[in-house]
Amino acid sequence: MLELRINGTTTSVEVDPAMPLLWVLRDLLGLTGTKFACGVAACGACTVLLDGAAVPSCVRPVSTVVGLPVLTIEALRRPDPHDDHHRILVALREAWIEEQVPQCGYCQSGMLLAATALLIDQPDPDDEAIAGSIRNLCRCGTYQRVREAIRSAAARLRQTDR
Amino acid sequence: MKRRHFLLSAAAAGGALVVGWGALPPRGRVGSANLLPERDAMIALNAWVRIADDGSAVLAMPRVEMGQGVHTALPMLLAEELRLPLTGIRIEQPPEDTIYGNVAMLTLSMPFPPAEGEAGSRTLRYRAGEWMLAKIGRELGLNVTGGSSSVADAWDVVRLAGATARQLLVEAAARRWRVPSAQCVLADGIVSHPGGHSAPMAAFASDAAGRAPEASVQVTPREAWRVIGRPLPRTDVPSKTDGSAIYGIDVRPTGLRFAAVRMCPVLGGDLARLDTEAISARPGVLGVVRLPPAHGATGGFAVIAADSWTARRAADAAAVEWAAGPGAGLDGTRLLAELREAADRGDGHVFRESGDVMRRFAGRARVVEARYEAPWLAHAAMEPINATAQYADDRLTVWAPTQVPGFARKAAIAASGLDEDSVTVHVTLLGGGFGRRLEVDVIAQAVRIAMAMPGSPVQTLWSREQDTTHDFYRPAQAAWLAAALDPDSRLVGLRIRSAGDAVVPNWLGRNMPILAADLPDKTSSEGLFDHPYAIEAQRIEHVRVRSGVPVGNWRSVGHSHNAFFLESFIDEIAAQAGADPLAFRRGMLTESPRHLAVLELAAERAGWDDPPAPDRRLGIALHESFGSIVAQVAEVGLDGGRPRVHRVVCAIDCGTVVNPGIVAQQVEGSVVFGLTAALHGRIDIASGRVRQDNFPSYPLLTLAEAPRVETHIVTSTRAPAGVGEPATPPIAPAVANALFALTGRRLRRLPLDIG
Repeated sequence: MLELRINGTTTSVEVDPAMPLLWVLRDLLGLTGTKFACGVAACGACTVLLDGAAVPSCVRPVSTVVGLPVLTIEALRRPDPHDDHHRILVALREAWIEEQVPQCGYCQSGMLLAATALLIDQPDPDDEAIAGSIRNLCRCGTYQRVREAIRSAAARLRQTDR
Repeated sequence: MKRRHFLLSAAAAGGALVVGWGALPPRGRVGSANLLPERDAMIALNAWVRIADDGSAVLAMPRVEMGQGVHTALPMLLAEELRLPLTGIRIEQPPEDTIYGNVAMLTLSMPFPPAEGEAGSRTLRYRAGEWMLAKIGRELGLNVTGGSSSVADAWDVVRLAGATARQLLVEAAARRWRVPSAQCVLADGIVSHPGGHSAPMAAFASDAAGRAPEASVQVTPREAWRVIGRPLPRTDVPSKTDGSAIYGIDVRPTGLRFAAVRMCPVLGGDLARLDTEAISARPGVLGVVRLPPAHGATGGFAVIAADSWTARRAADAAAVEWAAGPGAGLDGTRLLAELREAADRGDGHVFRESGDVMRRFAGRARVVEARYEAPWLAHAAMEPINATAQYADDRLTVWAPTQVPGFARKAAIAASGLDEDSVTVHVTLLGGGFGRRLEVDVIAQAVRIAMAMPGSPVQTLWSREQDTTHDFYRPAQAAWLAAALDPDSRLVGLRIRSAGDAVVPNWLGRNMPILAADLPDKTSSEGLFDHPYAIEAQRIEHVRVRSGVPVGNWRSVGHSHNAFFLESFIDEIAAQAGADPLAFRRGMLTESPRHLAVLELAAERAGWDDPPAPDRRLGIALHESFGSIVAQVAEVGLDGGRPRVHRVVCAIDCGTVVNPGIVAQQVEGSVVFGLTAALHGRIDIASGRVRQDNFPSYPLLTLAEAPRVETHIVTSTRAPAGVGEPATPPIAPAVANALFALTGRRLRRLPLDIG
């Protein structure tokens, strides 16, 4: 049995320790918000935060995340207002809605998590920093709105921090 | 190209549309309430509109949401007519019925060339064929989401259905209150009369049901619109930003198993030998299923397990012998050589002919010639190919992200051997379609797999590698273009011969053989024969070259390569003529004022005449597709010797706009899609195998490479035209033309390679 800490809740799973975290989330725990798109860490659709850092869950064996805090898109169901990472994710999500970012939406969970990691690391990223950090692929081409939404959320977070 | 109005007169000037009830054909598309199943707390007033007890309205939604915003745009039409806020409209997939067929897509996208003013004895034959096809199509009622047609198709029907419902509710209120119905008003879900009567519309739904309107139904005139034309927020965005949106891959019926598919690596091949026992002996394997070729799918097998990863590892580890079949001989290099040969010398079907072409090119005419080509392309939607099915209690249930619910159901019926009444298809959200999910290959697989595991629902999931290497590719094309210039450097003669496989007969052949007539496929030549330029003498033809490579509809279809060929060539001629590319086009658009207006708008907003930024140049392209006219100006520089597109200014005339926010999204997305193809896209085939298999070898445009896209919408009172695809074709030529201005090098092959 492996003990996992996901979105602030501890869960035990009986699973092959080599199974990538992505499939534990999607197939064992019913958390389908994190997506499968390539399986080789090339597209970012499976991005989750592991202790605040963006990781591709499709190549991350579940045994390596035992005891570490995992943040997935489902944190938005019951965000903790005292958790900085949750606060950032919530602000990004609001900006995503305002800027009308998603089209098909399949890549967006990964985008939001990658953007969260960026703002944790750099609270005031410029366009170049965003381009250097957000490597997630979007076939629908929502990139310019992703950029706008990140800038907008960053500005709002800085305001509420004052 | 004229759009045919099957149902209503074209007297839509000013938007006011009056329909006499008697003028509708018997099978008017508004239809009968009987088509919708009885549900608690909801009353159907026709085949599209139900009124719920809680004051909301429920719109029958046959079209699927793949990011193009149709699940917002169509409800907006109903919200307008029922005088409700958009939040007061819910949607539900209706039962399958021909009344929900997509008529607009059929008339716009079917294989025949337009029957407009061309001389020749074959015109009558094609006219008759087109009419018959459209009639058959309407009777068969194909529920297809594609061809940038959903809003165009729903425009009259949903508004009329909504207006009819409104009329019925108002008349029911008038009867109850014994007042003239013309004095009753429906607003915000309440029917009221100045005399003091007022009640929620739901109160009149059962009285309204089953009746025909007493007076003529009038859809809301343009000047009174409160919903149509506003950039309302999309209804699907909230769930797409919190992980709750359910795509095909996310359905989780109780007891779900997972199946990983592995197909013969050679296109069109099959399984020869499989060590089923060894696979079944692996821990966690619940079943092994052979998958014969069906609906275009290459043969293979599937392994079933309790989770996707276990199934995939077992499938990948399996010892298997393949029967490659004739596909092993497919060689992309040789096929491309055949296409070039056919473009040079082949016997083509002539799609357009006018004037005296041979005279224009004879003697001492100044002729400019060029050869262009474009490769096969994969779709690469982010959600990999999947479908889920369950066979239990003699019933089959399918959950699928599909663009063709009707074809999906037919494939499920065929694969299961069950009768129609025992099969249900639930359509989920699609993580991208782009034409790939017009195919039902995975549906047939998923059903076979489910039948092998009665009782349990099973999700059939392809890996990205299986997806990329077993696509229905945008076909490769080659083209020979020649222009004759007069002594004043005016373009007076144009000859084009393109060559490639035909998409529509292949697609229909897989899905609806009765419609797959062996007639020329206009989509092969679209964007070439139907250009807007006034050129005195022309012959535009296409040679169909059957290759054996599976081909299908890819966003913007024939336009995706033909716009690159023609708009780059026009630019070449302008250069030969010593003319500015904008001025040169302007001179040939004397008979196409709408096209000219779009071109001028893009050029003006892009600052075409301003001095260029250092190390950057502009390129322009103009293209009409799916009823809409688009012009783009691309601002391009070089970065480390490679093209860098900084900005794209796009002007679009798509007729009446339902939601300008959605139009901007689609333009932005279409540009990125087309730019990926222009800069990166290529599928290579050797010994029948596709060489690219995942994003590292088939790269998509990244955020870092994405330009800033600006959308400028032309105001129009014409009926809505296509928005999902038209901004894809022009970007490749716009960028190629900018690269020419920047480097002096003319690139005639995609992807653009300046190195």
